[in-house]
Amino acid sequence: MGIGRYTIRRILQTIPVLVGIVTITFFLTDAIPGDPVQIMLGPSPSARDIELVRAKYGLDKPLWVRYINYLADVSPIWLWPKATFPFVELQTGVDLGKSIYYSVPVTQKIMERLPVTLLLVASAFVFAIVTAIPLGVLSAKRRNKPTDHVARVVSLIGVSTPSFWIGLMLIIVFAYHLDVLPATGLILPWANPAEVSGAENRIHILMLSFIHLIMPTITLGTLQMAAITRIERSSMLENLSEEYVRLARAYGVRERTILRKHAFRPAQLPIITIIGLNLTAALGGSVLTEVVFNINGMGRLIITAINNQDYPLVMGTTIYYGMVFVIGVIVTDISYAYIDPRVSYGEAEA
Amino acid sequence: MSSEPLLQVRNLTTQFFTEEGTVRAVDGISFDVYEGEIAGIVGESGAGKSVAAQSIVRLVEEPGEIVDGEVYFKGEPIVEFEEDDDGDLAPTDAMLTNEEMRRNIRGREIAIIFQDPMESLNPVYTVGGQLREFIEINREVGTSEAKAIAVDMLREVGIPDPESRYDEYPHQFSGGMRQRVLIAMALACEPSLIIADEPTTALDVTVEAQILELVDELQEKYGTSFIWVTHDMGVVAEICDRVNVMYLGEVVEQAEVDDLFHDSHHPYTEALLASLPRPDQTVEELNPIEGVMPEAINPPSGCRFHPRCPEAREVCARIHPDNRDVSEAGERTHRAACFRNDAFDVGYDESPPLEMTAGSGFSAGLTGETDAEAESGGEAE
Ligand code: SF4
Repeated sequence: MGIGRYTIRRILQTIPVLVGIVTITFFLTDAIPGDPVQIMLGPSPSARDIELVRAKYGLDKPLWVRYINYLADVSPIWLWPKATFPFVELQTGVDLGKSIYYSVPVTQKIMERLPVTLLLVASAFVFAIVTAIPLGVLSAKRRNKPTDHVARVVSLIGVSTPSFWIGLMLIIVFAYHLDVLPATGLILPWANPAEVSGAENRIHILMLSFIHLIMPTITLGTLQMAAITRIERSSMLENLSEEYVRLARAYGVRERTILRKHAFRPAQLPIITIIGLNLTAALGGSVLTEVVFNINGMGRLIITAINNQDYPLVMGTTIYYGMVFVIGVIVTDISYAYIDPRVSYGEAEA
Repeated sequence: MSSEPLLQVRNLTTQFFTEEGTVRAVDGISFDVYEGEIAGIVGESGAGKSVAAQSIVRLVEEPGEIVDGEVYFKGEPIVEFEEDDDGDLAPTDAMLTNEEMRRNIRGREIAIIFQDPMESLNPVYTVGGQLREFIEINREVGTSEAKAIAVDMLREVGIPDPESRYDEYPHQFSGGMRQRVLIAMALACEPSLIIADEPTTALDVTVEAQILELVDELQEKYGTSFIWVTHDMGVVAEICDRVNVMYLGEVVEQAEVDDLFHDSHHPYTEALLASLPRPDQTVEELNPIEGVMPEAINPPSGCRFHPRCPEAREVCARIHPDNRDVSEAGERTHRAACFRNDAFDVGYDESPPLEMTAGSGFSAGLTGETDAEAESGGEAE
């Protein structure tokens, strides 16, 4: 089986997973104690008001009807039964409902926040990967030499320092004392210059965006960098003692080529796994960084949704995370198959 | 047989500096390999065979280190030690540098086949790609020519449809096929010597037989010399011309294969031969060598084999036998390190027999003494 067919198979396999995510999300959200209508209407509302709001959000219908309706709404394609020919009616498009708290469609709210989180996470991971992989390789190459010791101490500190603490320290030093970097907010590089104060053209926007990104990137990326460095080091060390590396040495291959080719490529398998999992987690777990730097991303959106018992928004954001996770796993698997031919050929290795 | 040996190993000593102490894995071995012959190194696992093989191409891994001895290949000093001004042993200036070893010796002149064909090929690159890379490094050819050589070589070692298998990955090959690939790899670089480190141990018996036949055939065709490392006397009988029997880091017997099999001069060799299954034996009648080989970290005094030797006498525990020529006048050279031979004059015949230590002697099948184990660890009396 080639890598193309493997990819298609993996994508098709996600459909039941996504249906499962929607189902579990729906019933779990319903099970949350408390009543969103009550929160919305404040203390002691009239019975008539409650009726009206319930009807408006469809909360007066039985649970299973609401479930079927919701499933139909979030599915890109859905067929409703009909009395006349052709007996089915097609419903297309994804509708996550309307946020109770913000009074705008959930999709719109997610579309507004998602790019911010994506930018932050992408920036943090590029920073982490670009620094961690060379550092890990170098550390393995100079095993037990000073370079290795420094790299190991740095990565140990990195994995054991809480990210919000790093964020706060950065703010204290670079924003408060030195006043060289902005402490809050994030500016998207594609933002309209007219809407950003102090920016006249695209160049300004890009510069502002970059400056705003520096501290959040370090805050979110340090843990990843440290984790990847450690795994890269141990994976390289493991591969450098593999029989095929010894064989390459026995055939006069240069040490540099061994490091860059023979040991490097097979050593990236655990790296891909860890990046895939952490990236997925970071897309949902950048909450702390977003709070520390006052960035309006997905993390803060979901917190607002939960605090206000905004059912549609909670479900919408949860489904989003479910999808991110599924996509993350697929991308990881496909990258795996790309590097390791054994995966896509579907043969168990002895 | 030509007069100058292709490879001369003299007093080669490799030690591992571990936390528990110094392991004398290879302890002063000497042997020659002549052009066009297959020289065997045989012994139990832990005897130091593999370390000896790795030492020849200077690929001993940490914490191992070659500390003494000489290895000459076509007259070039791969290993050469001399005493420096302080009286310590140090490599000579003439000894090949690591860079020279990498460029001129490894792969190009001496190729290696490792024990485990499953682990020896890189799982993420195609078989053909790996073959081609090594050919390009070790022969002055371009990419397309190297590919042609690789395909030819795959056909030569009996891989069907080599053009399409060239682009396949190692996991698509069976163990036997992978070992054929590794043999192709070694031969394709056109070295003068191939060191095969237990290359058939991981394979089943039928596949092993096919591989041995293939090697025999190709060896004749290409005239390449081999060092064949194995624990199996059966394999030795099948393909080797001369044999070096190793025990605990030392060569204890050294002879032409026929001489060794028909007239062995060392009890350890006899035990190895006796442990070979014969067609007229049932499984119950097999004669495994009893006892475990002691650690090379703290080898027994005197003859290292004496705690397990059925012929051991008191003198064996005291004096260490060197490996010397024990052949009768007019016979081919036959070296052995055992006092039973007349070439030694240490009073073996007058010396009282040594009681065997419990659990480390030979089985009843070999010695006929079932109560050997019951008698507790009596040393020499
Ligand atoms: S020297 Fe003694 S102990 Fe060693 S092999 Fe010969 S008889 Fe056995």
